[in-house]
Amino acid sequence: MKELCMYPSFGIALSILTFWIGIKIQKKTKMIICNPLLIAIILCIGVLLIFKIPYESYNQGGEIINMFLGPATACLAVSIYTKLELLKKNWLPILVGCTAGSATSMISVLLLCRLMGLDETMTMSLVPKSVTTPIAVSISSGHNGVVPVTVVAVIFTGILGSILAPAFIRLFRVKDPMVAGLSIGACSHAMGTSKAIELGETEGAMSGLAIGICGIITVLFSMLL
Amino acid sequence: MKIIKQIGIIFSICWLSQVIEYLLPFAFPASVIGMVLLFLCLLTGVLKIEHIQEKSDFLLSNMAFFFIPAGVSMINYLDILKSNAIQLILICVITTVLTFGVTSFSIRFTMGLMNKRKGSEK
Repeated sequence: MKELCMYPSFGIALSILTFWIGIKIQKKTKMIICNPLLIAIILCIGVLLIFKIPYESYNQGGEIINMFLGPATACLAVSIYTKLELLKKNWLPILVGCTAGSATSMISVLLLCRLMGLDETMTMSLVPKSVTTPIAVSISSGHNGVVPVTVVAVIFTGILGSILAPAFIRLFRVKDPMVAGLSIGACSHAMGTSKAIELGETEGAMSGLAIGICGIITVLFSMLL
Repeated sequence: MKIIKQIGIIFSICWLSQVIEYLLPFAFPASVIGMVLLFLCLLTGVLKIEHIQEKSDFLLSNMAFFFIPAGVSMINYLDILKSNAIQLILICVITTVLTFGVTSFSIRFTMGLMNKRKGSEK
């Protein structure tokens, strides 16, 4: 089994198949929790565990898919550019919102960790969890955090954001697509943004913008820690 | 050839941003640098949206899919997840809701203030 799965085509095929199953289930049930990304991740992990396929074999193909994340994030610039007028008109609220959001994320993690009695290494691993993985990892390792914990927290937060974004919009009665997009990007980086893109053009563009702004602000704030 | 050209443009920008990431004295992710670079290219007119429209539509509309391997990589950290599962879940859920709420409120609050000022100037 090990030998049969070490081709890159295996990981790519498995990812596409499970994602397709996820989309089918989402269409049938129409439930927020049946998120295609979440279903695909669970199914892939399940297949690897059940058939004892090493992660390295899956990752031959996984790496190739992963390689598209950089270009996809860069392309968010295209959607931001098409909303240039909105950005020019609202630069101050956007900046205030992203600053407040980044500060809230970091402070609330700090407080909750203290409350739950987690130690300093664990706390520092979780503080940058709302920003995009590469930024979060560099902040975490710079403050003696455990990088795998950071990676898990970032991905888990991203999945949460991409599943719950529509529910958050209803909960906080957000009507303005610009506000919705920025808030999604601020709380759940690029993974949440993938959901924002599905919600609408403005949501996607503003969520992408928030990834960049919140990333920079979080780096600046982390220097104070 | 059209699509190949678009892929070429986007990957060139990504490569350039990886070079910049390598040269920067502090840690900053290439993907965000690429976003800034592409934005500047569009702003200055070096690139037109038509030059990358189809490829960028393809990448953006399938963005969720590209995150599957990142999610599957959690399989390597199952023991960390198991030993801290409840705290991790609680912290992530609570802070994500809070961050969304505070961001949306502060944007709306600032916009409200600005509208008020505009109104009083008139």
